[in-house]
Amino acid sequence: MKNRTKSPASGRTVTRQQVVNLIVPFLLIFLSFLLSSVWIVMMGKNPVEAFAVLFKGAFGSSANLVGTIKKSVPIAFCTFAIIVSMKGNAFNIGAEGQFAFGAIGATLAGNLIQGLPSPLCIALCMLAGALFGMLFGLFPTIMHRSHGVDLLVIFLLMNNVAEYFLQYFVLDLFKSENALVPSSRPIQPAAELPYLLGPPYRMTIAILFVLVCAVVLSWFFNKTVAGYEMRAVGQNRDAAFYAGIPTGRYTSMALLISCALAGIGGSLEVLGNYHCLYTEISPGFGYDGIPIALLCDANPLLAVIGSISFGALRNGSLSLQAKMGLSSEIVSVIQGSLILVIASNYFIRYLLNRRKRG
Amino acid sequence: MEYAVEMRHIRKQFRTVVANDDVSLAVRPGTVHAVIGENGAGKTTLMNILYGLYLPDAGQILIDGKERHLRSATDAISCGIGMVHQHFMLIPRLSVADNVVLGSEPKKGLRYDRQAAAEAVARVCREYGLSIDPKRPVREISLGMQQRVEIVKMLYRGANIIILDEPTAVLTPQEIDELGRTLSQLKKRGKTILIITHKLEEVMDFSDDITVLRNGRHVVTVPKAETDIPSLTAYMVGRDIHLGGQKQETHFQGSVLEMQNVSYRRDGREVLKDISLTVRKGEILGIAGIDGSGQTELTELIAGVLPCDRGSVLYQGEDVTRRSIAQRKATGIAFIPQDRHKHGLILDFSVEENLLLGMQRKSQFIRRRFLQDRKAIHQMAENSIQDFDIRPADSANKASALSGGNQQKVIVAREVGNQPTLIVADQPTRGVDIGAIESIHDILVRHRNVGGAVVLASLELDEVMMLSDRIAVMYDGRIVGILSAAEATREKIGLMMVGRVSETEVPQ
Repeated sequence: MKNRTKSPASGRTVTRQQVVNLIVPFLLIFLSFLLSSVWIVMMGKNPVEAFAVLFKGAFGSSANLVGTIKKSVPIAFCTFAIIVSMKGNAFNIGAEGQFAFGAIGATLAGNLIQGLPSPLCIALCMLAGALFGMLFGLFPTIMHRSHGVDLLVIFLLMNNVAEYFLQYFVLDLFKSENALVPSSRPIQPAAELPYLLGPPYRMTIAILFVLVCAVVLSWFFNKTVAGYEMRAVGQNRDAAFYAGIPTGRYTSMALLISCALAGIGGSLEVLGNYHCLYTEISPGFGYDGIPIALLCDANPLLAVIGSISFGALRNGSLSLQAKMGLSSEIVSVIQGSLILVIASNYFIRYLLNRRKRG
Repeated sequence: MEYAVEMRHIRKQFRTVVANDDVSLAVRPGTVHAVIGENGAGKTTLMNILYGLYLPDAGQILIDGKERHLRSATDAISCGIGMVHQHFMLIPRLSVADNVVLGSEPKKGLRYDRQAAAEAVARVCREYGLSIDPKRPVREISLGMQQRVEIVKMLYRGANIIILDEPTAVLTPQEIDELGRTLSQLKKRGKTILIITHKLEEVMDFSDDITVLRNGRHVVTVPKAETDIPSLTAYMVGRDIHLGGQKQETHFQGSVLEMQNVSYRRDGREVLKDISLTVRKGEILGIAGIDGSGQTELTELIAGVLPCDRGSVLYQGEDVTRRSIAQRKATGIAFIPQDRHKHGLILDFSVEENLLLGMQRKSQFIRRRFLQDRKAIHQMAENSIQDFDIRPADSANKASALSGGNQQKVIVAREVGNQPTLIVADQPTRGVDIGAIESIHDILVRHRNVGGAVVLASLELDEVMMLSDRIAVMYDGRIVGILSAAEATREKIGLMMVGRVSETEVPQ
């Protein structure tokens, strides 16, 4: 790096660093597939075939593609949540819990609000989801700001609170009396998201919210004064403080926005997919957001691509089970190895950068 | 005559940056040859090429008259070249002897012969008159001695040509003298030594010949006897250097800053004790003292980074004791913090974004109340880059890619560009090259000449004495006295810096 600073002239060409930044995410994904192959081989299956089935299951037909997109919506909102918290110099590992509370909020609103036109009703339900998510994150945020409580610990603990409260809510507090599968009372038809593609696809407008959110976040960080200040806090808290930026306020603000985004993710699952609440509303979407946010370097636009990839993994894993008799849990293994290789990110970058020494 | 090292027409390019352009270097055997230049002049690159760490794009290397292709450090070592890096590469837990022989250990059968290693190292030390105890663990010995261990390591491997990269950067004055003696010992034994440095006093003390590089090019090679520090400086920078700015007689009335009985506690200890001082219009108030006497805290308190526990701060007649950093900035207090990487810059941000830092709420950079005015910001950045000669002149470049001097220029440009009344600077020239020091001095003095006020804390006594109209000397969190430039002498300040006030009779 040092030698790069040595001459007054530096063109605007693509730097090696930029190329490395672009290659690395793909390399990481490839490595994680390689790692998972080891497991697939150990289970006596052909990994190449398995990945082909996985890919087909995710993108092979229009129905599969729609399934992938559906799965990517909640993942995307959880990723946005992580990204916003990172920009504000914090790490929201509690998206899973806020997601569940957002779903609870949307279920309550969707069930109780009556006699309003559909768009207004949907807006109110999403707002309820955002508020519930935010309120659930309020206590950890306050504890962090005023007492310096470790965010990682408190958010992880809060996730347990959310998990058990969700069960209490679905199985007792707000349970449906006449459902076959234990679930909450349903939302009003007016609160259901309209279809972008009708049956048999049943793809709702939720994916549009993802795109809008990505654009809005990207605009906020790059074009607004507050976005600039938040990024400054995220990159170098001390320098931001010395520049007179209220760092504590920005971190708290980032956390609350982050919690609200996770909450919206939960509300869209209820309003778009299930129209009521199950205890298994999230198979770990909140945790999916973490590797994606890291892989896409906290860029909201890239996060959409990342979320679709993870949605593809989750969706494709279903056919993996059906066609190859492989447990769909193999997808967790792929994700796990992905996290492992992300952790070795710096090592890989080091190897790539070392070669520049002619 | 045959040269020990001859490098001919060396060229090395990193992407778009030419680090060495047609550089030639010839070193006579048995001499100390200094390679000097500003940060980024290409001296380290040249030495890394000689040590086999980089391959040159063009050019030849001759060692003792024979052409060599050095593809790795191993090649260089086998040609008798050794390099001592600025940051020592020793293992603290191992003894001196173990460190020296590491990689080519004497063996007894399959076992490492520790006794033989200690003897071999002791022999090398005796031969070259170096005082090191081979059995001591490296973690227990001083930095100066660690450097000698590195040199012994090279000698043990049979190096005849030793490259020292910035050898004095971490040494105390006494250790630097010791290094000088070591070098003359090595010279007597016929070793050839190359030193990379930018400290000219040492160049004049140590070396026989001097090669100056500038912007990746060879400027001149001269014997020491035929040159002096001013002309070397001129070679390095490409023009005459004048430190200290152009002070003019000023007659401004009134004060800009008044501190009354200010105290600040940290972890139950008073770091600033009962500080009272006045900074007038059109003056530079220097703050001298040994490191850690409270200078940094004093500057941070004026900037609003640290709160005031007792006392009050008046700025232009108004009580600003409880004002925030942003409020003070808005009313014209500029702050150049000591630690530019941690407090002054966001290294991952572009130069443009760094030039905006702290100014982002000013009305000329805002559209429709909450949007950034990209055009205005870019214009401001381009102007600052030009006015302050920030290189490379690319506002999209990341701050981390700039040299120390240019990073400091970014901070100075930002703070001074805000048209402040008071500039608070904490060691603004630390670790920056001489060209940047000159322009920073110039900026501070110009600000003073037009009626602005400056608080300048610096550990460099020469700098404080050269620039200040009055000098406040701190010791243990207190101001022990304030001297006018006329009455200040090195001796007086030196005594006050260690708290011996009574011997100097200081008027308040």
